[in-house]
Amino acid sequence: MTAKDFRPRVLVTKIGLDGHDRGSRIVAAACRDAGMEVVYTPPWQSIPAVVKLALEEDVDVIGISSLATDHLIVPKLMAALREAGLDRVRVVVGGIVPDNEQPQLFQSGVRQIFHPGTTLDEITTQISTYASEARLAAAETGV
Amino acid sequence: MEVLDLDHAGLVAGVLDGDRRAIARMLTLFDDASPGSREAAGSLAAHAGRALVVGITGVPGAGKSTLVNALLGAWLERGHKVAILAIDPSSPISGGAVLGDRIRMGEHGSHPNAFIRSFSARGELGGLSRATRAAVDCFDAAGFDRVIVETVGAGQSETAITAMADTRVVLCPPGLGDGIQAIKAGILEIADVLAVSKADLPRAGETAHELREMLTLRRANPDQAWKTRVMLVSAPEMKGIAELIEAVEEHGRVNGHGRRLKSPALDIRQGHGTLENSGDADVWRERLSALTERDGLCATLGISVVAGGPGRAEVAMTVDARHMNFNGGCHGGTIFALADAAFGLASNSHGALASGIDAHITFQVGVRPGDRLIARAYEYSRSKRIGVYRTEVLRIEKENKETPVSAFTGTVYIKQ
Repeated sequence: MTAKDFRPRVLVTKIGLDGHDRGSRIVAAACRDAGMEVVYTPPWQSIPAVVKLALEEDVDVIGISSLATDHLIVPKLMAALREAGLDRVRVVVGGIVPDNEQPQLFQSGVRQIFHPGTTLDEITTQISTYASEARLAAAETGV
Repeated sequence: MEVLDLDHAGLVAGVLDGDRRAIARMLTLFDDASPGSREAAGSLAAHAGRALVVGITGVPGAGKSTLVNALLGAWLERGHKVAILAIDPSSPISGGAVLGDRIRMGEHGSHPNAFIRSFSARGELGGLSRATRAAVDCFDAAGFDRVIVETVGAGQSETAITAMADTRVVLCPPGLGDGIQAIKAGILEIADVLAVSKADLPRAGETAHELREMLTLRRANPDQAWKTRVMLVSAPEMKGIAELIEAVEEHGRVNGHGRRLKSPALDIRQGHGTLENSGDADVWRERLSALTERDGLCATLGISVVAGGPGRAEVAMTVDARHMNFNGGCHGGTIFALADAAFGLASNSHGALASGIDAHITFQVGVRPGDRLIARAYEYSRSKRIGVYRTEVLRIEKENKETPVSAFTGTVYIKQ
């Protein structure tokens, strides 16, 4: 399945206490302009709220923006998603993530980390690819 | 009735069981008009009719989302299971959308009895995404007893909510003056409750007065059990909300839940999904088939009617050697004729004689002998004299997938 067959649904959100939302807004707009359907939330979301939202909106990809060490709670989000049966949902992180902390994110299941300097094209292309993967997984499992 | 494939049967069972993941997935299938979703919608619709479905519409910035949030809070407090379908506009350029209603619904969205889903309008007119009706039935069948549909900021044409909701609430913020003028011909006429929002602002009373005045000017319908009400609400101050909820509930009691299911004429899946789900589908098909039988070109080319409705028609043909051009492809004139046949039927479906005065077509992909083509025409706009219709020509692929072949726009002059 390719992105041509469906409209990727992407959740762009921020968890934790970091309120710097300019980046997430820009990425949300870029995804919209790339033809995706973007569910956007303001910052300060709780993990259960993100999981419930991702489930109800049946998103393919969750983009977490983190600029102030909130990436450290992403593994908790990953565990909560798995518990809710949302294994198929691909999670990417964008923002400030120090090199030495990347492995723990990847180990928790994060697919990609976008560092400062990544172009919007690169971000939307990759998100679109992850969305296709997620849809394929959905088609295989039925839910 | 087609047999459900296993995946869909499982999903339908999950939805009926109230499984939230199954519901979410089913809604996506409707939204994408995936193969099999039509049949699934049909089997879910058979279980619908218990929920009270409220449509909330109004001009952009009227306060729809704020009101929805207040309604949600109040109904959750009363122990209801509440589903919300929020429809946002999509970009006409990229087709993408930002579904941002979450911004205002955070407060109650995390409640376990709430289910909030956003759809993008995907370019549909009428203020509703084409999958809306199927989604509403899905929530209903899944056991949500209150469903709220919030539409894209409405203007005159967004009356499609009639077929989606049992109770229609139209929000009118105060002081717009011209704004009220702009909508009064359309959505004000379909309102069961007219709510003047932002009642904390000056001139709200004046607006309510104007609306009441307008209602008295309307010809009274003696058959109507319900008289449209005008109310003042201020969601941030929670003023008038309890009264509004009471009015909505009362309307549901008076007119009955599931009223929407009885209005097939406005099936929103016009132009894309099925037309044949409406109760009087056979009548329409026969009526349009009778016209086609008198049509020499349709007979010559082998064009037949699949479905129809007021302002809508779907015709089909299988391409063979007769339809080819000298290069071995399907003749553009053949495709035009198919699109034109649907256009002619749709524009003449209301009874008045409509003559085509202009038409354009695009050709996206090549068509070969053996290909099955359908053309679906729907009404884009219609005034006393002029009607504009759009037709899409699609090639039917394996698993009933549809590939766009041509886009056609036609204008008719209507003789009185």
